[in-house]
Amino acid sequence: MTRLGRVYFGFCIVMLLLPIIVVCGAALNGGRSMLFPPQDPTLDRFVEFFVTEEVWVTSLRNSLIIAFGSATLATLIAWPLAFDLWRRGARLSRILAGAGAMPFVLPPIVFGVGLGFLWSFTGGLGNIGAGILSHAALFLALPVVTISIGLQSIDRSHLDAAATMGATERVTFRSVILPQTLPYTASGFFFVLVLSFNEFIVIFFVSASSYATVTLQIFNSLRNGFTPTMAVGAITFILTSIVVFAAISRFGDLPRLMGADQSRSD
Amino acid sequence: MAQRATGRARFGQAVPGLAVNMADAPAARLDASAPAAAPAPQTRAQGSGSTQSATPSTAWLGSRLALGLLIALICVVPFVLVLIISLGNKIEGAGWEWGLSLANYSRFFFGIGWPETVSTLYAQKLFYSLYFAVLASLIAVLVAFPFTYLLTRLSRRAQAGWLILLLSSVSLSEVFVVMGWDVLLSNRSGLPMVFRETGLTAWLKGNGGLDLLREWGLASPRNIRFKTSAFATVTTMVYLVFPYAVILLYPALSRIDPAMMEAARTMGARPLMVIRTVVLPAVRVPVIGAVLLLFVFLLGAYVAITVFAAPAQQTLTVSIYDSIRGQTINAPFGAAQAVVLLVTAALFLGASSLIAKRSGL
Repeated sequence: MTRLGRVYFGFCIVMLLLPIIVVCGAALNGGRSMLFPPQDPTLDRFVEFFVTEEVWVTSLRNSLIIAFGSATLATLIAWPLAFDLWRRGARLSRILAGAGAMPFVLPPIVFGVGLGFLWSFTGGLGNIGAGILSHAALFLALPVVTISIGLQSIDRSHLDAAATMGATERVTFRSVILPQTLPYTASGFFFVLVLSFNEFIVIFFVSASSYATVTLQIFNSLRNGFTPTMAVGAITFILTSIVVFAAISRFGDLPRLMGADQSRSD
Repeated sequence: MAQRATGRARFGQAVPGLAVNMADAPAARLDASAPAAAPAPQTRAQGSGSTQSATPSTAWLGSRLALGLLIALICVVPFVLVLIISLGNKIEGAGWEWGLSLANYSRFFFGIGWPETVSTLYAQKLFYSLYFAVLASLIAVLVAFPFTYLLTRLSRRAQAGWLILLLSSVSLSEVFVVMGWDVLLSNRSGLPMVFRETGLTAWLKGNGGLDLLREWGLASPRNIRFKTSAFATVTTMVYLVFPYAVILLYPALSRIDPAMMEAARTMGARPLMVIRTVVLPAVRVPVIGAVLLLFVFLLGAYVAITVFAAPAQQTLTVSIYDSIRGQTINAPFGAAQAVVLLVTAALFLGASSLIAKRSGL
């Protein structure tokens, strides 16, 4: 990298980190306002967020329930979808995969409004199960893509070997396909987990104010301004994301998942 | 035994299809168009002996039917409902009723008093949705392009490290991003404070720079001021999609062959010349595609707009929210606005997939 390149790269990284650093600093404020650098630094806000303030403890629990629920559900729906696509590539599978990707690529507020109507007709409005189903639908495209990449990366000689030795479809699935796609399945699961944690517009419309997640809680009190306790939430969430993506990168090939060239392996 | 042989033959047939998939594999990336597998012949239920009969096939059909219905219900029906309800009417004080009128759309484009009077209030909101999204997506790709190029030249290990950071920040909620920029641009701390403390404000006052900034809406009589301004809105939106832009450009840029650039270099091309003749032609389509996808993503921005945009520059997302759950409840009109946003987004997504198809990607 040239010197100019290094300066530019560094500049981008600094700009990327600056708001995060500022939020982390603001979480230490002793008072109620978001000042940077923080005034009378204290860790009281962390105690409030995780232990003492009922609002935040409840919404953190809701965030966890919805994130894990929707990640599990989305992965379970995505598996047969991706498998059919890979095995048959029938037109129907493609149409289904396209339909499943719609909520993810179109503006979330439109999907949120539509889900609000859907759940108000079916009686699911304000039900946390409906929230889980909504997030699973919104992020379904992610596990479909990661599992498809995983299925495409299966070494075809392994499938040949299994077939030559007379393995049944079921045995091949269990001994070749499943183990080789497991890291990609896990990646899809964790992508949904992290994105569900951070999503608030769709949850806003389907929760109908009967429950709140952490991001929704912050969103709801937006008009009164941000407070240092919310900044603790921000730190928690960004740390969770870093840990999860580091785990994905540890167990799977992150550059490959992101579409890097395979011939360059340095 | 005969059955087993058939099974093998079928598996063999499946292999060419698989080979195509494998060749495609590097091109698969994290967008919705990826799961387009090549057609492979049917290979299921070719087990040896009597372990498998006709029953699994029925069960299989049933499970796929259930899957299809579930996806239709939770992924497609919501959009259909928005479309249908946008044709309904509001009932004064009691919600809304089904209908088949285009009144909500004529209100959107010409105002409620049309045809006697014309108001472009909502058309303006659509304009600002487009304006902010276009500006921010263009800037984001311009900034992200050199960054991504430099990133792909690093070692695989270093790339993975930076990708973790980028993925973490791309998934970071809009509320947290806005929170960070709110502190950075607020009057009491952040940039305005830095300007005041370092004496830059006084210096700007002395040479008339502050008056110029006031004309641009970036200063109060006493100090520089970013809330509310288009500058703060666009900056936050660029930050919001910058990591996304890197992730979109990453596959194309990482596939540029270093040997080709070396060849160009040894033949005497200067670095800028190499970029113009080797790098840019290879990435023109992904760059256009990235701008379009970021644009669609930014059409949905909400918090950045409510916090940083001036009241006259609020966008469609904000007014959809207000119509459905805010002060001016009118569900059918909110749905009509959502349809306009949906159609806009779908048009640009269609354009991006058309460009990708034309170039054979």
